Amino acid sequence: MFARLRSLWRHFRHRTRTEGELDDELRVHLEERAEDLVRSGLSAEEARRRAHIEFGSAENYKVSVRESRRLTWLEDFLSDLRFGLRALGGSPGFAVVAVLTLTVGIAANTTIFSWIRSVLLNPLPGAGAPERVVALESIAPSGEWFLTSYLDFRDFRIYTKCFESMSVAYPMGLFTGDDRSVERVRAQLVSGSFFDLLRIRPEAGRFFAGSELDDVQNAHPVVVISHSYWASHYRSDPSAIGSSIRLNRHLYTIVGIAPPGFQGSQPGLSFDMWALATMHGQLNAAGDWMLQDRKTRMFYVLARLAPGLTLEQARREVRAFARRMAEADADTNQGMSADIFPMWKSHYGLQESLLAPLSILMGAAGVLLLIVCANVANLLLARATSRHKEFSVRLALGAPRSRLVRQLLTESFLLAFCGALAGLGLAQQLTGALQYLIPGGALRYYLSRPPVDFGVLVFTVLLTVGVAFVAGMAPALHAAHGNVNEALKEGGRSASSSRTAQRFRGLLVVSEMALAVVALVGAGLFVKSFRIARAIHPGFDTHQVAMAQFSMSSAGYDRQHADSFCRRLREQLERGPGVVSVSYADYVPLGFGGDSWEDLQIEGYVPGASENMKIYRTLVSPGYFQSLKIPLLEGRDFTLQDDRDHLPVMIVNQEFVRRFLRNQYPIGVKVNGWGKWFTIVGVVQDTKVFRLTEPPRPYFYVPIRQIYRPEMTYTFFVRTSAPLNDAIAALLTDAKAIDPASPPVNTISLEEFIQQSLFSQKIAANLLSILAATAILLAAVGLYSVMAYSVVRRTNEIGIRVTLGARPANIMRMVVVHGLLFGLAGFIAGSLVAIALGRLLSSTLVSVSPADPVVYAATAAFALVIVLAASAIPARRAMRVDPMVALRYE
Amino acid sequence: MPEQLPLPPGTLELLILKAVSLGALHGYGILTRIEQITRGALLTEQGALYPALSRLEHQGLLDSEWGISSTNRRAKFYRLTTAGRRRLREEALSWNRVAAAIGAVLSAKLQEG
Repeated sequence: MFARLRSLWRHFRHRTRTEGELDDELRVHLEERAEDLVRSGLSAEEARRRAHIEFGSAENYKVSVRESRRLTWLEDFLSDLRFGLRALGGSPGFAVVAVLTLTVGIAANTTIFSWIRSVLLNPLPGAGAPERVVALESIAPSGEWFLTSYLDFRDFRIYTKCFESMSVAYPMGLFTGDDRSVERVRAQLVSGSFFDLLRIRPEAGRFFAGSELDDVQNAHPVVVISHSYWASHYRSDPSAIGSSIRLNRHLYTIVGIAPPGFQGSQPGLSFDMWALATMHGQLNAAGDWMLQDRKTRMFYVLARLAPGLTLEQARREVRAFARRMAEADADTNQGMSADIFPMWKSHYGLQESLLAPLSILMGAAGVLLLIVCANVANLLLARATSRHKEFSVRLALGAPRSRLVRQLLTESFLLAFCGALAGLGLAQQLTGALQYLIPGGALRYYLSRPPVDFGVLVFTVLLTVGVAFVAGMAPALHAAHGNVNEALKEGGRSASSSRTAQRFRGLLVVSEMALAVVALVGAGLFVKSFRIARAIHPGFDTHQVAMAQFSMSSAGYDRQHADSFCRRLREQLERGPGVVSVSYADYVPLGFGGDSWEDLQIEGYVPGASENMKIYRTLVSPGYFQSLKIPLLEGRDFTLQDDRDHLPVMIVNQEFVRRFLRNQYPIGVKVNGWGKWFTIVGVVQDTKVFRLTEPPRPYFYVPIRQIYRPEMTYTFFVRTSAPLNDAIAALLTDAKAIDPASPPVNTISLEEFIQQSLFSQKIAANLLSILAATAILLAAVGLYSVMAYSVVRRTNEIGIRVTLGARPANIMRMVVVHGLLFGLAGFIAGSLVAIALGRLLSSTLVSVSPADPVVYAATAAFALVIVLAASAIPARRAMRVDPMVALRYE
Repeated sequence: MPEQLPLPPGTLELLILKAVSLGALHGYGILTRIEQITRGALLTEQGALYPALSRLEHQGLLDSEWGISSTNRRAKFYRLTTAGRRRLREEALSWNRVAAAIGAVLSAKLQEG
């Protein structure tokens, strides 16, 4: 290898010199030959002529010398390739099985890698120096993560020195078009510095600049659109720049086009356009108060580290400044803190919920790939054993062993390459499947399709080379180190060498089984954990409830409009057939969505020094508890009279009573929030709010008509006894009949919507099951091939046994026991590995021990069935061996 | 001049390796050494020597450097590398083995007849 590299190096370095040298070399030859001929008696003239004739055509030889220098490597490779293609073409069954196996392994790994890349590794596609961009997050006194208020953001921007620039980001669904036809677009409201911070250049037009960078509200109705929106809505027409677009009924001017590939600043999600955060009041019809309220913590904050500063240094300044703000703005920020993270560690967005499942999946895909390698190695080894004679002949004829190794590696590369091509094609189809793993809801709407881009391609190529080496090396070395003499003598059946091969194949099968057992145990644990989590009762009944969400602000409604819209829609829906109850609220429990808390002061309760009195709440209409079947334990439900003209009232949950109202009858207790005193009129049962696995937490409800927040999204709930799809359809048609310009979003069943709370559990359980099933299937193929080969090899022996009186049942038992031994060895090895690895999973599992005996028992049973199935066909073949034929068999 | 036999295919490189195994030689020197070893000129065209030398050098079996020939000309001298020496040994072994096998087959035939 090194000699060849040296020669290549010499060749390139001294190409011109070697040309001259070759001329010299040939000339010396001719001269010396002529002199010798002269010495033997020829005339000088005749000697020169003879020398030339004896030499042949010097020009031809020069050409072939040049070619021999340049082309041996490539020629060898091409001839290997030709030979490999012919060899594979000669056994198409083997080639198809091997390529299919590789396709599955490579497609699974490429797909999962493309997800990981788009969500975790490359969270800001298109951005320059993205590793210097961090996410800033607020921390509540309880340690919970929060988004950040505009005022806090502004103070960080003005008073800290650790960032080169900062920007907010706020995802918001907007409506384009007029009253007659509206379309929903995905927008991000950002600071003027957003694009500069990400170091992104406009494809056309400009990004935000000048006075657009300041904090003056509702002054700059300009918008930047994405490259794909430009292509789909303006056919990439440059005149789109400067044209007007109606957003939530307000006129905006398109000033620029983002470059292709840029999707926004939230990993895994893609947006159509970007407007200024300072326009939030107008777009939301909320006025300008929300950007002036420190308690309205609604913004994602991005920041680029100042040059030369490390994340740790910046973190110290951020924490110190947050402490100062907590003191200076004690009325809103007491006890609050802040921290910064690399984008992939941010607590908001896909990366938070996908980090654990994707890591686990990548591990599982790796296991699958190892099985694939073992399987292909197994197939190659079986082939190498049957091609032993061919190799021996080639060795005897003088082919160097390295040449043989290369030939075989070329074949495994050829297989891997075909597998990679097919795998990439399959992965292209599969990457979009990420969205099917996410239950319907807001998130799926924003989800971008992870691209199979250059980075993914590089990954796949490296993977392919690795697989080709891992799978091909052992068989190639084995084939090349066969003993020539022995092989030729024994007519191609070298006993000792095929015995080592068979032993090695046995080892491969056992490791395949072991790996498959690891995958099965993993999948089993997650499926069980998912089952347990799903079986937890959330405290409300999701069956037979349809829901739809309406954004009051997008429709440009004020308070009165919103009230009348809700009242008319409720009355309309209640008339539907089979409808049991209609209500609405500003929050869906167990959804992914944001949630709100309020600082409460409770009559007769003195909070501890650092006690967190920020209590989560939902604003609900009368009938909410009935719609969701949340049992009312004391007091009364809200009524239509509980509006802003009547006394403020409140309903609390059991945990609220337990925590704050010990020894007290709850009804009639007064609670202060939003600067008003509310009277508790009822107590309802605890429900799960964020996660099914959470412990009970204090919670309260207030009539939606007593607190009005213009940015609110109203969610309508319809409980029906008729088919659910009718109710879902009614939500769409009734809303359209009342106001065609306020289309609902997320019109689905509540059951489907709240599956989001089990999002990561579900991904892990579903995908791991698929991967594990594939793994055990591949292991079964490996086992089958070894068993089948062993039966063929032992045909002679079986014939003798039958002749000596063995019955078919004995023969079958012999083969099946052989298979079971492989299975057992694999199961024991796999279980040991699984138990060792299980500890890593314990944090992601819900009330399931990593050593759950049921899961292991189920795995063992499943593996047993697979082993029996894989042994059945070879066993049947063994039973049917005709002793007369078998004894002649050689 | 002795009787000229054509060189069996594939043996030229083996002969070159053998020729330079005793010491570095330049192209024409290798040719005369092969003539000595084989007791006759077996090459149909002497030029065929050079592509073979180039191949062997390329495979790292030969090394070359420039020196002065016995006729006082500047010439390229070839020398065996370690890999070349190993290859020569292997080739010689397998050659002997095949030759012995063929010999055995032929003598068996004779006994039969």
